[in-house]
Amino acid sequence: MKYFPKLIALAISASTPLLVSAGQWEGPLNGIVNNVVKQGYESYASSSKTLLERTNTLCASPSQATLHDAQEAFQANALDWQQVQWLNFGPVTYFMRYYAFEYWPDKKGVTQRQLRTLVQGDPAVMDAPKFWTSASIAVRGLTAIESLLYHPDFEPVKSAEHCRLLEKVTDHHLESSVAVAKQWQNGKAQDWVFDEEGTGFDPEKVALELFLQQWIEHMSAVKDAKLETPIGYNGRENLKLAEFYRSDLSLKAIQKNLQSYREIYHLGSPSLYELAKQTNPALADQFDEQLTQNIKLALQLPSDFFHTNHTQEERISLAKPLVKSISNSQSYLSSMVTQLGFQIGFNSRDGD
Amino acid sequence: MLSRRSFLAISSALSGAVMTAPSWATLTQQDASKKLYASAYSLNQQEHFFGLFDDKGDIVWSSQLLDRAHAPVVHPSQSIVGIVARRPGFFMDFFDVSTHKRIIRIEPSKEYHFYGHALFTSDGNHLITQENHYPSGQGKIFVREWPSGHVIKSFSSNGIGPHESVLLNDQVLVIANGGLKTHPDNDRKILNLETMKPNVTYLSLKDGTILNQSSNSGELHQLSIRHLDVNQHGRVALGFQYQGEMWDQVPLVALSRIDQPELEYLPIPEEVRVRFKQYCGSVCFDSSGEILAISTPRGGLVAYWHVDSKTFLGIENCRDVCGLVATDKPHEFLLTSGIGSQLKNNPVQNVSKLIKKHPKLHWDNHLRQINT
Repeated sequence: MKYFPKLIALAISASTPLLVSAGQWEGPLNGIVNNVVKQGYESYASSSKTLLERTNTLCASPSQATLHDAQEAFQANALDWQQVQWLNFGPVTYFMRYYAFEYWPDKKGVTQRQLRTLVQGDPAVMDAPKFWTSASIAVRGLTAIESLLYHPDFEPVKSAEHCRLLEKVTDHHLESSVAVAKQWQNGKAQDWVFDEEGTGFDPEKVALELFLQQWIEHMSAVKDAKLETPIGYNGRENLKLAEFYRSDLSLKAIQKNLQSYREIYHLGSPSLYELAKQTNPALADQFDEQLTQNIKLALQLPSDFFHTNHTQEERISLAKPLVKSISNSQSYLSSMVTQLGFQIGFNSRDGD
Repeated sequence: MLSRRSFLAISSALSGAVMTAPSWATLTQQDASKKLYASAYSLNQQEHFFGLFDDKGDIVWSSQLLDRAHAPVVHPSQSIVGIVARRPGFFMDFFDVSTHKRIIRIEPSKEYHFYGHALFTSDGNHLITQENHYPSGQGKIFVREWPSGHVIKSFSSNGIGPHESVLLNDQVLVIANGGLKTHPDNDRKILNLETMKPNVTYLSLKDGTILNQSSNSGELHQLSIRHLDVNQHGRVALGFQYQGEMWDQVPLVALSRIDQPELEYLPIPEEVRVRFKQYCGSVCFDSSGEILAISTPRGGLVAYWHVDSKTFLGIENCRDVCGLVATDKPHEFLLTSGIGSQLKNNPVQNVSKLIKKHPKLHWDNHLRQINT
């Protein structure tokens, strides 16, 4: 019997399936953690710092030029987030940081509404020691910063109040991203899985299994929520549901996600790709080729893909090859994961 | 202890027709203390079974199914078990354990489907099914004659999506109307996300009158009331599945009573609530009725409360856990998971014991104990 949070006591499983031997999961796990997650959060924390600096400059010397600089810094930061967005695991799960970094999709315009309330209120409340730990996730991260930099309701160049709010949010955002980066630097993925006493528990395998589950779910989100839903692939078009549509990052975000997928597959020694090659070489290569195809197809989409100058039919027609390619990737990933001996979500992904 | 071989030998000797199916006590006569548990399970995406296992976790009986199923139904006296198809379900298969034969398949009426759960009345003479009249989306309760399956009474469930129900006593059925309107043409797509209004309804089985009905408040209308259990003191526990955003802070567990108009939400430490990922699997009281257990496969844990004091007691981590039953021992539960574990856990004594792990087998959503 345990009470959360309790970090694991290590008990190494005596049995692992197929061709993979005990300890071999460390290869892909460490490769992904060191190169995608740790480095990803380092970059994210670093670009969050740049964003705060540019925001400070904007508020000290408000002009279109300093606003543009801050917007550029925001774009770099939001794209760094795309590198690690697939993994809702570990330090980012504390204090709802994952959802605070990006409150999306904000179907009801909660961010705008709450930012307006903050702007109209006493700015001193934001200096209270515990303000940000209890603040709504809608105003704590990139979605709020994007609104303050791009939404017509906010004028950081003309309004000192708006700019002060932007600085406060950006400052908190930097604090959060640095905290996550530090926690990853000082820890490892195995620290974030929950021991199951007496069950022959392999922390590397369990951690990697959670990574793979997150990858599968993120791939679905890229296809469904990021691509299909806003363009009305299966229903009504609503381009405002696209991710970071105000800053015109919707397509670039997808491209970045698809690039990170290929890294996840190939990092570590052995990598997931190499382990998959031992189990089913044909499937391992099919998946690899599909991941590359995803990147190519996303890069082929016109840069104004999410702009209003295309009809819904045009957009669907343009998106079709990429939708199909990601869909194939989902099938290959799912088969590969099963063949490697992972049991992902029999009940957790298919209950009632 | 009864071995698998002797169990099957007795089963074979006792083979008979529906109405002559032996009692559970007869079937397990060599060992009166023998416990049996029922659950669906799968070996892979193609091979699905319904099985009974004993206290050691050994499978003593199984029958192949065409597809994954949801919840078992156990006849209170005869050695008959049933399994309900997953939502939208169009069959329930019942088996005579002694003969290993499927004795009857019950199908819903035209324009209805099952929800994955059903139950027998305490005398075993009737089967109660929850169904969706999918052209209208209205929930229905059918009382069927056993073993023919013929409908002898039907009532409105007084809500949409009656997923699971339990008997408060012989006259009162407690129904978890989950609130989700679906149509089998669209599988499980929710058609009323913006207007859904789940409730728990206490229904008279004599005349279908509503004896009590409780709902979540308006802002929690997407909190689907999906699974429930009742203890010997008439306390009803409810497990929710939230259809809103992952980040919304909503209650996930509540208590109810027939004489209490409002739901009473149970406390959960926020760090545990977040791990539920807005999803409760099974709801179960222990044999004493003092302890409540709720499984969450998405969170990979079972959470426990002391019912009278409404105190959160803690959790047991178990990946992909969903199946949950009380054993005969006070405060003790048996858990099954999608990674093949069968685990006994006593949250009061802080004792946990892995009974068995079937590494190639996935235990499906719900588990039932057979009172032999």
